[in-house]
Amino acid sequence: MDIYDVLLRDFPFLLKGLGVAIVLLAALLVIGFVLGMGICLVQLYGPRSRLVQWPLVLYERIFRGVPIIIMLFIFFYGISGVWDISAFGAAVLAMGLRSAAYQSQIFRSAFQSVPAGQMMAARAMGMSKIMAIRHIVFPQAARHAIGPWTNEFSSEIKETSLAYVIGVVELTRQAHYIITSTQGNVLTVFAVVALLYFILNRTGNSLLYALERKLAVPGFEK
Amino acid sequence: MADDLILDVQDVKKAYDGLEVLKGIGFGLRKGETKVLIGPSGSGKSTLLRCINHLTVPDAGRIYLNGDEVLDTNIDAMRARMGFVFQDFNLFSHLTVLDNVRICQIKVNGTEKAAATQRAHRELERVGLSDKADAYPAELSGGQQQRVSIARALAMDPDVLLFDEPTSALDPELTGEVVRVMQQLAAEGMTMVVVTHEMSFARQAADEIIFMEDGHIIEQGPPETMFTDSTHERTRAFLNVIAEHG
Repeated sequence: MDIYDVLLRDFPFLLKGLGVAIVLLAALLVIGFVLGMGICLVQLYGPRSRLVQWPLVLYERIFRGVPIIIMLFIFFYGISGVWDISAFGAAVLAMGLRSAAYQSQIFRSAFQSVPAGQMMAARAMGMSKIMAIRHIVFPQAARHAIGPWTNEFSSEIKETSLAYVIGVVELTRQAHYIITSTQGNVLTVFAVVALLYFILNRTGNSLLYALERKLAVPGFEK
Repeated sequence: MADDLILDVQDVKKAYDGLEVLKGIGFGLRKGETKVLIGPSGSGKSTLLRCINHLTVPDAGRIYLNGDEVLDTNIDAMRARMGFVFQDFNLFSHLTVLDNVRICQIKVNGTEKAAATQRAHRELERVGLSDKADAYPAELSGGQQQRVSIARALAMDPDVLLFDEPTSALDPELTGEVVRVMQQLAAEGMTMVVVTHEMSFARQAADEIIFMEDGHIIEQGPPETMFTDSTHERTRAFLNVIAEHG
């Protein structure tokens, strides 16, 4: 049986691995989005008190400053000592929390790129701060955020492969199984895997760019 | 306070880092009156205007709108009753002209969408921009953007309109269309406070001109008096400079 037959036979396993990678990606991006948006809003519009702001800065610095592979080990081996967490759960948590740190900064710069006059005009018309953020600042910031967010999306797709190290059976680990069972053929198998990651990446990016074009405001120079 | 005042500004003071910008300013405005604030730059005109709706919170003094005091606690409701027109327009750049004029009616005043749309179209017609309802701000000239921002303020049915140098960011050939709209509003009995360097507007549309310098009101009076026989040397000097350059 040559490697192509094996690949054909085992392709469903690769697809399954891809599926796990996609679920991991979706979960970590959602956690990162919700938490990152929360952090960004508190940093920009929340109380200025150090008690509130410093922990956020500390959080952001730590999660942006430590390699993800170390975070994966810490979350998996650290947490599983006190609480029964699956490798997948640890990966979602570690990567989601880290993505939150990055996404909070993407959103923060997007919000800050909205001219101050927009908030001022909304407030001058009688909108509360929350209404002004929701109806005026957020829709503009969201448009500015799509570009940088596409970057984060691409990075995270690729980094899902690191969940391999704590035993999550995602695409890279499935590939490794195939390689182990056929004893060799590293290049061929990883070439197929690379192609799968690449397709996923391009598809996601295309969708995000399409969204960016769809939301573009006429006459607005970027 | 006098009962017939729409806007009553009493002894407003404001300092930035110890620098007193407003040193106790008071004036009143009756329904349908237009008052124009003039004075050299740095005299505190814009700060005073911003203090009226607390875009800048005054350090001291009281402001009443139709008898209700403007306070931090009721500020959103009070602002909804005061239109504010900015020097650089500040139209909501992600919304069409129609939505710009409609959104605060709906979100702030709770007007139904159909009624808000109707009102928006009426105000756009008033400023001569009916055909631009579906355009986005960035597709308009500065003069058109400023007229939309006037329509946006008018659609809220405000008790008073505050203009902060509405033509200062415009090319000279575009100021005319904005000034004409403002003159028309003044003639229709809109209550307005206008900070401007447009002396032609002040002369024709103002019921009273207030000359400010160094955080004080130096002099106030009807335009004919102020322009022809002002009693104050500083006012005359300022108006002469403006006349030479404007």
